[in-house]
Amino acid sequence: MSHHDHQRRFEQLALPHLDAAFNLARWLTRNDHDAQDVVQDAMLRALRHIGGFRGDNARAWLLQVVRNTCYSWLKDNRPGEQVSLDDEGEAGLALAAPAADEPLATVLRRADRRQINQALAGLPIAYREVLVLRELEDLSYADIARLADIPVGTVMSRLSRARGLMRLALSPCPPPPAAPPEPSGGRA
Amino acid sequence: MTSPVDTTRIHAFIDGELDLASRLEIEARLARDPDLRAQVDSLRALRSALREQADYHQAPDALRQRMAALASPPPTAPARRWLSWRPLAGSLAGSLALAAVMTLALHFALLRPSADDRLLDEVVASHVRSTLGEHLVDVASSDHHTVKPWLSSRLDFSPPVHELPLPGSVFVGGRLDYLDGRPVAALVYRQGQHLVNAFVWRDSGGDSAPRFVAERGYQAAHWSRAGMAHWVISDLDPHEFRKVVAAIDAAGG
Repeated sequence: MSHHDHQRRFEQLALPHLDAAFNLARWLTRNDHDAQDVVQDAMLRALRHIGGFRGDNARAWLLQVVRNTCYSWLKDNRPGEQVSLDDEGEAGLALAAPAADEPLATVLRRADRRQINQALAGLPIAYREVLVLRELEDLSYADIARLADIPVGTVMSRLSRARGLMRLALSPCPPPPAAPPEPSGGRA
Repeated sequence: MTSPVDTTRIHAFIDGELDLASRLEIEARLARDPDLRAQVDSLRALRSALREQADYHQAPDALRQRMAALASPPPTAPARRWLSWRPLAGSLAGSLALAAVMTLALHFALLRPSADDRLLDEVVASHVRSTLGEHLVDVASSDHHTVKPWLSSRLDFSPPVHELPLPGSVFVGGRLDYLDGRPVAALVYRQGQHLVNAFVWRDSGGDSAPRFVAERGYQAAHWSRAGMAHWVISDLDPHEFRKVVAAIDAAGG
């Protein structure tokens, strides 16, 4: 495949999803400037590898490139930020059904954009990632699994935990802000 | 009342990811289980809050313009670029560059006509790139159980992935590469201080025994086995290299 063919495929398959790419990078890096750097890198990689893409979901493919670029970038630039998740333990961390659902529904009706954004931005990256891919990008469990290179079961347990953590962050009596959310912490 | 519904299934339910039978079962239970209903309502509220209120960050215009420029063809077509070298020809640097280009052109035109030789050039180039530390592996692992599914999910074939039963051999990992106009699996081994790249792709031709070539100080070998084409390259000495090739071939490659 010639360079020109690559460019044409890139234009048809990757460029239309630039917003999705930026949105994911922005949520993972939580910073406009870094997200631009990451997306630029990711798009160059996408251009280089577009000849190898033969699926039917170019957006998921591009998001995978963006995600991998993000993680290498974070590893190089913010080594303290990445946390490994104990997925085996996660299944057992299913949140207890909250006793007071009514207040949460009320809080959610009242919650403004700022609170929702803060709560989402405050999630550990692996949970933030699945929520962004599921709710903002509307990807299927199967797509998220492929993209994040984890089993579908792990997508499900992470989503469940992510929503549990959102719920905690938005609840009327939030836990002390001093404790940063830890993925494998025993908050559940 | 039956046992409570597993939490992840409630999430899968509101995400529309349950099969029909499970969905109907939960819907039936919703009618008679107020706790479950409260959970589902609360999750749906959270879901719409995220979808409606969380920021969807659009790419800034400057980034969009830079990325669109990647897709536009270069201002001069490759053939035209040769002409732009002409003004240089008067200078020494220009003559040297032209001479180098012409030697290279001659080299390609006369000395390396076969497809195998072109492929050898690509294999050497890819090996050198990978050893320069740019991009050795996509998935690093000493465990072939993670590398194989990773590669299989990205290629239209499942490459044979094996550790080599050789003393001092370490399986470094795998990456996707691009050879002969197609995506291929590249498996990387370390043998002592030396890196070995083993490229694999699907090949409809029959089996053939390894053929060895030396090129620019590298040892390379290629063969076909069980519907897979193999190219292996390294800077190992020829004797060690043959052992590695034999091990890869014997391991199922």
